[in-house]
Amino acid sequence: MLTRLTGGRIVDPANGRDGIGDLWLRDGRIVTAPDGARAEETHDVTGCIVMAGGIDIHTHVAGTNVNTARLLLPELRAATAAESVPITETIGRLYAAMGYTMVVEPAISPHVAPQAHLELADIPLIDTAILAVLGNDDYLLRLMDANEGESAIADYAARVLSGSRAIGIKAINPGAAAAFKSNVRSFGLDDAVPNSEITSRAIINTLQAATETLGLPHPLHLHCSNLGMPGNADTALATMEAAGDARLHIAHLQFYAYGKEGPRGFSSAAPLLAEAVNAKRNITADIGQVMFGQTVTISSDVLRQFNARGSARPRKSVIIDGDGNGGGIVPYRYRKTDFFNAVQWAAGLELFLLINDPWRVFFTTDHPNGAPFTAYPDLLALLMDRSVRAKQMETLPKEAMEVTTLASITREYTLPEIAIMTRAAPARLLGLADRGHLGAGARADVAVYRTQADIAAMFRDAALVLKDGVPIIRDGVPVARSFGRAVTVRPEFDAAINRGLSGFYEKIYGVSHLAFDVPAAEALGRSQAFEAVPCRT
Amino acid sequence: MTEAAKAWLNGQPVTPARAAAAAASLLAASRSAVVAGLGTDVAGARASVALAQAIGGSIDHMDADAVLANLEVLRRSGWIVTTPLQTRARADLVLLAGDGLVEAWPDMAERLALGEAPTVTGGSRRVVHLCPGTSPGGAAGHDGRGGGDFQTVATGQPILPTLAALRAIASGRNTSLDDAAAAPLRDLAATLAAARFGVAVWSSATLDTLAIEMLCGLIDDLNRKTRFAGLPLAPANGAEAVAQALAWTTGFPPRTGFASSAPRHDPWRFDAQRLIGCGEADAAVWISAFSPKPPDWDNAVPTIALVPSGTVFRTPPNVVFEVGRPGGDHEAMLFDPALGGIAFAAASAPSAAASVAATLAAITAALPPC
Repeated sequence: MLTRLTGGRIVDPANGRDGIGDLWLRDGRIVTAPDGARAEETHDVTGCIVMAGGIDIHTHVAGTNVNTARLLLPELRAATAAESVPITETIGRLYAAMGYTMVVEPAISPHVAPQAHLELADIPLIDTAILAVLGNDDYLLRLMDANEGESAIADYAARVLSGSRAIGIKAINPGAAAAFKSNVRSFGLDDAVPNSEITSRAIINTLQAATETLGLPHPLHLHCSNLGMPGNADTALATMEAAGDARLHIAHLQFYAYGKEGPRGFSSAAPLLAEAVNAKRNITADIGQVMFGQTVTISSDVLRQFNARGSARPRKSVIIDGDGNGGGIVPYRYRKTDFFNAVQWAAGLELFLLINDPWRVFFTTDHPNGAPFTAYPDLLALLMDRSVRAKQMETLPKEAMEVTTLASITREYTLPEIAIMTRAAPARLLGLADRGHLGAGARADVAVYRTQADIAAMFRDAALVLKDGVPIIRDGVPVARSFGRAVTVRPEFDAAINRGLSGFYEKIYGVSHLAFDVPAAEALGRSQAFEAVPCRT
Repeated sequence: MTEAAKAWLNGQPVTPARAAAAAASLLAASRSAVVAGLGTDVAGARASVALAQAIGGSIDHMDADAVLANLEVLRRSGWIVTTPLQTRARADLVLLAGDGLVEAWPDMAERLALGEAPTVTGGSRRVVHLCPGTSPGGAAGHDGRGGGDFQTVATGQPILPTLAALRAIASGRNTSLDDAAAAPLRDLAATLAAARFGVAVWSSATLDTLAIEMLCGLIDDLNRKTRFAGLPLAPANGAEAVAQALAWTTGFPPRTGFASSAPRHDPWRFDAQRLIGCGEADAAVWISAFSPKPPDWDNAVPTIALVPSGTVFRTPPNVVFEVGRPGGDHEAMLFDPALGGIAFAAASAPSAAASVAATLAAITAALPPC
């Protein structure tokens, strides 16, 4: 079927397009304007902005930790809309209503990948993917301890990606979860896992190398050590240095943007980090913006979460000494009157506004850790309108604003910059050639927003969203009930790795390593097969 | 559903399609129905939710008491837990708390390698069984199979007061116990404190909420100085995977109602046995794919049963569907206690028997449009 969107302002920076015009779609793909053909379906989108569907590269929407948060916090009424741990149905509906058509759950330990994929299969309307977490797993540490070479570790990583049907590799405070099981209570970049010489730095470099050896489109996705601690900007800077020239994605950089200045010994060090990111072309970062309100922190950084238990509101938490990372679930309330929370809010915005390349900074709240993803429209308003920022700053503790530079920043994001940060750049970072743009051949995942003075309102309820060319949202309301695809990489590996894994698992764990493999789409209840993203050659 | 599927209406064999139509009209005519039993896999749990939502009914699991005994603790104060693999790999001390452990997980001792050294950290492993044989009808549980360093600690008291005294002693507080009674607990407290990675194992089919809360509090206290974690064993009849699936699809564990626009969870209100006993529910769907178990309420309300062949009813339900065993007759996503998570289970003896998911989907599809 041939479809035409007519009269809208098409903002497609990946193809250098920004202007009023028509967009043509046929059979789920964008096509060039056909000569003389007549559209079977025409959507008049005059007065609207037309962008590719949004892609969220870091949002905790599935897996055993997220589901434990649902069970931990019935009082947050998981079944209703605007909450921090929505159910699968609500996740799909709310993301689609905001014009998002794909999300990546970034923290799935390989052993619990089957449940994560079952949850993703129940998220309607949008495409999904997971990152597989390595870096605290017994087998990797064993390989490193035995000085196994790069290719053995790359084969192992590829086997994990294949078994867990993931799109990339994540490391979360590498080494710390393993060390915590030996009663270590703090763990930095150059600390070693007990009874070994394996440092966090070495794990990061090893996994970076495996990522490059396998040609994975997505760089190593890293949650650094010392999250949330005063003065941890030094850790982030040292980690960027440790990356060398190889690609590295740093997750939720805001949570590492802290200095020790000021009367409270806590300040924003965001300008330093932004400067470092600007100078290092191999580094990308998502922000993990804090927004005020009740949420729950869900993290596989089990050590950090254990240490944060005292701040739980309401006062309860779950700590899991899991296989590999495990995790912790600590409910938390970001308060406008709280000095520290206000500094966190400002530091995130400073990073967004001071990192000058929208291709290397990514739009996240680390849902739900900084805020639920439902805060995105309000965050877009803060980035695009400095008067909205100024108004918010007036309501925050003055002494907090004094340890940040936010008030001095005048930059406002433009629509093409927003389209890069939320569409084109995520697609490129994940290796999704046919997403994130509106050129011929791209998937017809399209978001249409009605231009209005209230930026948050504009982005909260998209006027029209098409997924694979089919309308799924009108005026923020679902008009279809379809299910998207799950996207993976399938790097090649030497099957001999299975022999080593088999022996290790039988002896150490008493089970088969094959038992953790995610089955085919049908067994998960998926109507569509997994989609594979090619590796770089 | 396949042609081999078997179904009965009022005791007479009928086609599955005829039975689905009859089940649908029975449910459509009800004002308040329960979807209960729920002994099924993830696909069956999803289909149960879809049916309960379609008829505005409520949902319960036959082992919900055990699920909720744990969840009451979780949502009151939280906990620190670990996995069976990490227990096997790292636990230098395993505290078996109370009874019913082998009943909950017959392979426990072998899978956790209780008689062997921790497989990753090495050294030695001690196993202490606290209060064996003190539950009503409780068996001794762990029998020390595989040798190793195994001991029992008993106080002549049930598990709850024993755990309370142990926690007090471990925290250096006084108890009302006399010296002789306190002595074994003092030794045990020292053993717990000396563990490097201790794991306490319990079954919520046996321990109640108060005992679990006391045990989790003890674990919490021990983590001030060393590492300690809990290992709750999964309840029976697929309850763990069902509870997980209900959490991500409805936001809540079993005992949730769908009569209003948003699901409501209430462990008392949506207890299927209570709803039927007091006449609040006027129809029931009973699902027990893992064992040939009839519902406790016999035929007090019109009932549609999804059960394996060989299930014996005192009074036959109005509609009976014969269903296959998940992971036996058909492949399934199930909680595997040895893995500590949901995993794929291939069909061990594939048959044409219908699945719970397919049977419920047929009933839901046959409901009149509302």
